[in-house]
Amino acid sequence: MAGAEKNILNRLYFVAGCMFIFAILIALKLVDIQFLEGDKYRELAQKNTTRNFVIPANRGNVYADDGSLLATSVPKYDIRFDAMTVSPENFKEHLVPLSKELSDMFGRPASYYQNVFRKARANKNRYLLVVKNLGYSDYIRVKSMPLFKLGPYKGGIIVEQRTIREHPIGKIAERMVGNEDRNNPGYYAVGLEGAFNKELRGKEGHRLKQKIAKGQWKPVYDDNEVEPQDGYDVISTINVNIQDIAHHALLKQMEHYEAEHGSVIVMDVKTGEIKAVSNLGRAKNGGYYEKLNYAVGESHEPGSTFKVMAMMVALEDKVIDTATIVDTKQGSKAFYGRRINDSRRGGYGEISAAKALEVSSNIGLASLIDDNYKDDPKKFTDRIKSWKLNDRIGIPIKGEGRPIIPEPGDEIWSRNALPSMAYGYNLQLTPLQTLTFYNAIANNGTMVKPRFIKEIRAWNKPVEHFETEVMIDKIASEKTINEIQAILENIVKRGTGKSLYSDYFSMAGKTGTARTEYGEKDWSQNRRYISSFAGYFPAVNPKYSCIVVIHKPSTKKGYYGADVTGPVFKRIAQKIFTDSPLIAEVSSINAQDPSVAKDFETYYKKVQTRYQKIPNVTGMAGMDAVSLLENLGLKVRVIGNGTVKEQSIKSGIPLEKGQQITLNLS
Amino acid sequence: MAFGKSIVRFDWITIVLFLALVAIGWMNIYSASLSDSTAGFFDMNQIYIKQLVWIGLSIVLIIFILALDAKFYERFASIIYIVSLLSLIGLFVFGKNISGATSWYVFGGVSLQPSEFAKAATALALAKYVSDIQTNMNEFRHQLFAFLIIALPALFIVPQPDPGSALVYAAFVFPLYREGLHFVYLLLGFFAAALFVSTLAFGAIWVMLAVLLATVLVFLKNRKRRPNLLKYATIAIACIGFAFSVSYIFNNVFEQRHRDRFNIVLGKEVDAKGIGYNTNQSEIAIGSGGWFGKGWTQGTQTKGNFVPEQHTDYIFSTVGEEWGFAGSLVVVALFVGLILRTLVLAERQKNQFSRVYGYSVAAILFLHFFVNVGMVTGLFPTVGIPLPFFSYGGSGLWGFTILLFIFVRLDGSNYYYT
Repeated sequence: MAGAEKNILNRLYFVAGCMFIFAILIALKLVDIQFLEGDKYRELAQKNTTRNFVIPANRGNVYADDGSLLATSVPKYDIRFDAMTVSPENFKEHLVPLSKELSDMFGRPASYYQNVFRKARANKNRYLLVVKNLGYSDYIRVKSMPLFKLGPYKGGIIVEQRTIREHPIGKIAERMVGNEDRNNPGYYAVGLEGAFNKELRGKEGHRLKQKIAKGQWKPVYDDNEVEPQDGYDVISTINVNIQDIAHHALLKQMEHYEAEHGSVIVMDVKTGEIKAVSNLGRAKNGGYYEKLNYAVGESHEPGSTFKVMAMMVALEDKVIDTATIVDTKQGSKAFYGRRINDSRRGGYGEISAAKALEVSSNIGLASLIDDNYKDDPKKFTDRIKSWKLNDRIGIPIKGEGRPIIPEPGDEIWSRNALPSMAYGYNLQLTPLQTLTFYNAIANNGTMVKPRFIKEIRAWNKPVEHFETEVMIDKIASEKTINEIQAILENIVKRGTGKSLYSDYFSMAGKTGTARTEYGEKDWSQNRRYISSFAGYFPAVNPKYSCIVVIHKPSTKKGYYGADVTGPVFKRIAQKIFTDSPLIAEVSSINAQDPSVAKDFETYYKKVQTRYQKIPNVTGMAGMDAVSLLENLGLKVRVIGNGTVKEQSIKSGIPLEKGQQITLNLS
Repeated sequence: MAFGKSIVRFDWITIVLFLALVAIGWMNIYSASLSDSTAGFFDMNQIYIKQLVWIGLSIVLIIFILALDAKFYERFASIIYIVSLLSLIGLFVFGKNISGATSWYVFGGVSLQPSEFAKAATALALAKYVSDIQTNMNEFRHQLFAFLIIALPALFIVPQPDPGSALVYAAFVFPLYREGLHFVYLLLGFFAAALFVSTLAFGAIWVMLAVLLATVLVFLKNRKRRPNLLKYATIAIACIGFAFSVSYIFNNVFEQRHRDRFNIVLGKEVDAKGIGYNTNQSEIAIGSGGWFGKGWTQGTQTKGNFVPEQHTDYIFSTVGEEWGFAGSLVVVALFVGLILRTLVLAERQKNQFSRVYGYSVAAILFLHFFVNVGMVTGLFPTVGIPLPFFSYGGSGLWGFTILLFIFVRLDGSNYYYT
């Protein structure tokens, strides 16, 4: 019996011992955590509770050349509702008036809002979306509605602020300005936004905060550790009016010709400032939108617009002059076993070199170049390359297309390469490059680098000013330039571009109609062209150069450069010179003419007397009335919103500065 | 009824320990659930107020339990057990799924977790069966039946799924051991656990090599006694088979989250932001406490809500952070004190029913305490069971209160029986 009892006692000790060992284990583990590794954990705890908060910097704006906004960041507010935090009494009391006010503001019936709120409460929804994308003033209005004005805890209002990038002039020039990466908010890669992202985005600030409760953080110090620096503003060279004209002129033509895509660039001849860039691509539904930056990014065979370059090589090398006669045969001639045809049936016969360019004879140009350079084609390509046509221009915008100018010895070089190049094949250029060259012709031989940015500013202080950059001082002799200028003017007067001719304003330019994708098997059934027109206006003392390129117009409607792209060019030129007062620059705004000064004085007096009395503002929009009266020096008090129903001082009563006037709006 | 007729003396040490634990527990729940919201102190939505109500109700419950005749518990043990089983089965039909487990009945705004009450019921049923004059714990048939009583509720709890609560039933091995279950069962259990852990830690192949080596060594050492080769071979093969099946089950039956939990404790993976996040944050909270802690409601980690589930399963991390090493030791001491006191009282019992029940109480409290604190301090894999009297939750508090106070009642009438 004693043995049995001892056995049982042993068992008790064993059980108790087990438990004791575990208790010791726990104590040891506590020693381990709190002392042996305590420093590590204390440091981690410190890290845990303090966090560096990023204070975002305001992104700078992109402006047009006249200071109008192209892209800016605006705050937008989403209003949500926590249906659970509101007390039953408050909910009951404010539900109907709140629904009514929401209904007044957003147009949906009040019963709709009541239902939504009731349902949210029944479903214990703590995050009901009420309205989205409110501007600041609308947000203030919603915030002051019944229930919501009780604040987040009692009123259940949840406000979420976002910053979105807005383009005040709309989709026009969207590609050039660039936009936010749709899949990557806050990230800008394309257009001016991408090119000057570093300047625009500014520098984030930092502030150390300590977590004091769930979702609540208290700043550790009074000041920010790093103050945020707002981004700089970028003043672009884009002119809103010209951009608008270019966009609509291109759009109209694209729609008419059902083209696949196209682009327009307008450039200031002297300064190289790009005044407008429009890039339109066809969407699946047949509409057009700013799809890709074709003007800068797409390198393609230019076709006839390149004949100008070819001709200039020969003129500059003095191997021909404009009067050199060339035999264009009957509109078809074989070069090294390959036939080159002219667009006119029967051909032009024997014509001068100048005439060959005017009528855009493929055979003419091919013969002129092949005859003179077949023994030393490198001489030809070297001159082309001396105009930097084989290099990217080096603009800051991402995705500039790579030109291709072959030379003897290259893989794509063949005997046919030389005559092909003479009329714009077997090489590739971007529209911007072609334009840069034409601009140099317009600029009397000085090739300036196209640029998109005038200035970078911090507030109103210029940070960096961009000057015109000369790429090539003189691309050719005075004589050659003059000859080419004359031919380009004649092209519009009597050559391939004569359909564009106008008595009222002068233009110079070259049409281009290039085959594209002609290597494809189905080309003969489904012919595809690139129509282009490059030139400048006015023909004398040119102000702007411009290129229009339209890819794959519907061949049923036409495809010649003169028909498809020429009218876009003409419309832009015409509009800029006739419609837009922008060009009529006033050289001095100090009106010295006494009669003008007198006129102004009488006008000013009239204005002064007219508003010495309180005006009648009833029926006027509240905002307008307030600004009108405040400009007259009155203090304005406003009750309600909407239009003015009543004014506390009747109209016609003499006005006293500083007087208070109360407006009842409804 | 018991009062008046007999001398009833309740063990005040147990009651004081209980009250101390509940009070300290509530203070920590208060701290862990304190938020800076504008709600007033007596807002019914505050977790600490809810817990206060549960504590108040459990006092009522205690009076009720103590008021009943001690014999009641023995007599109705089977019925209580069966009702408890039914309540577990009923969950499959009427249960409500709260955060992934269908472990709750919801009546109005109150949710009850029957598995918390099933522990006391099982303890009663086990005590009754073992104390039955017909039962001989050395007979295999009776051992099997006792195991069945223990295993049934666990079987219904596992698929809720709540494997943590089911694990608690392993605690009943201790009272059985005390009542004469052969030591081999415990040893086997430990040996299996050791094999299990080493298989996971080192892989089945190494365990196999180790077992073979050990077998050969023992065989060589005993070779003069002409050992039975067959016996050695059988044991070795059984061990190796066990190791391989553990490896197989671990890799093919367990889900990744279960594997992760073990791997983290075994130090195979360090994953501060993933599955080990809770434990890591809990260790940070405790570790930052130091000697005397940061003071009540002053814990930065606690206030910052870094430790998930801090007011429930991870409540001990609040103790560690705000009361430091000293405070933690006090809490550990209180628990060890309560468990040892229960053991001493159980051993003091004159009738077997009370003794088995007392051992069960001690074992369950011990397992909960050890597994929970082990988990919170990173000693053990993550097993979601509450810390008795500390963790927030009405069912848990009531379950442990009932468990403990039935024993207080049984112990109190000991004098009556003599």
